[in-house]
Amino acid sequence: MSTLHVLSHSPFTDSRLDSCLRICGAEDAILLCGDGAYGLQNAALQGKGVKVFVLAEDSQARNLPLPDWADSVDYPGFVQLCVDYDKVNTWL
Amino acid sequence: MKFAIALYSAAHAPSSRRALLFAQAVLADGHEIVRLFFYQDGVYSASNNIVTPQDEQDITRQWREFVSQHQLDGVVCIAAALRRGVLNSEEAARYQRSAVNLDAPWALSGLGQLHDAIQDADRLICFGGP
Amino acid sequence: MSKSLLVISRQAPWSGPSAREALDIVLAGGAFDLPIGLLFMDDGVFQLASDQNARAVQQKDLGANLQALELFGIDDVFACNHSLEVRGLNAPASAQGLGSDAIAHLLDRYDQVITL
Repeated sequence: MSTLHVLSHSPFTDSRLDSCLRICGAEDAILLCGDGAYGLQNAALQGKGVKVFVLAEDSQARNLPLPDWADSVDYPGFVQLCVDYDKVNTWL
Repeated sequence: MKFAIALYSAAHAPSSRRALLFAQAVLADGHEIVRLFFYQDGVYSASNNIVTPQDEQDITRQWREFVSQHQLDGVVCIAAALRRGVLNSEEAARYQRSAVNLDAPWALSGLGQLHDAIQDADRLICFGGP
Repeated sequence: MSKSLLVISRQAPWSGPSAREALDIVLAGGAFDLPIGLLFMDDGVFQLASDQNARAVQQKDLGANLQALELFGIDDVFACNHSLEVRGLNAPASAQGLGSDAIAHLLDRYDQVITL
């Protein structure tokens, strides 16, 4: 079973990303949106072996370059991720 | 695929707009939305008393139009709504409050509707926070 | 067969209605005899601390709702060991402590998840 974790808080002011990474399974992925997109600038995410996506509008709005360890998705891509993964865990 | 979408944030939160655009993309891709359930501060996203400056996106109006246009089942948690002062005419009369800020297409109901949607759907997608 | 739901409660009991509203989802599911699990994580583990005094801040005691879990048939109650440890809390009797790997497996066991 795979889980798509959705994060919208900045990892620089909030512990959700740390907690998420602690319990992230091998088949899981993380979708960064809103201020969660600042996670692209966070070394914690790099090299964890977990697949990382970012909502395109949020990285564009913040002028964040897309690192080679992350993929960008639009809203149809977001929907498709929800289909591809068995469940979605939004860290509200 | 059948989606249940739960919203936990007010219309001024970016996550309310995000939920709306996601819901639109769900339908555009040919999927079904079995229910929208607004909980916690999400009840504010259904309030019809929000006045948005003319040069800004009116998310509550867009939500209302989206739900009406697609005849979706839009449920606002009654306990969360009462606590936050989001009342339809029936509840305003029951508690003798002067303002009514919820009407069609939204319906007030209980948390059972969230569980019912979860049982019916293939995916539960929650939106909230910033 | 009913779909199962895991609720992950991350809020301290004194930060507004959020912790109570997370618990309400769990209790409502229990009232419908649905398979529900509850995991306390991050500041949510503060809900399990003993001898809290809700009356000191004129609040209702969330502990009463926690005690209702069993009455509502909610037996799968867990707490994150890491969250307990970093907050200096002992493992509570009312929840089964889980390490991070066990929590990853726990997520796999449920059909849907709500993290509040």
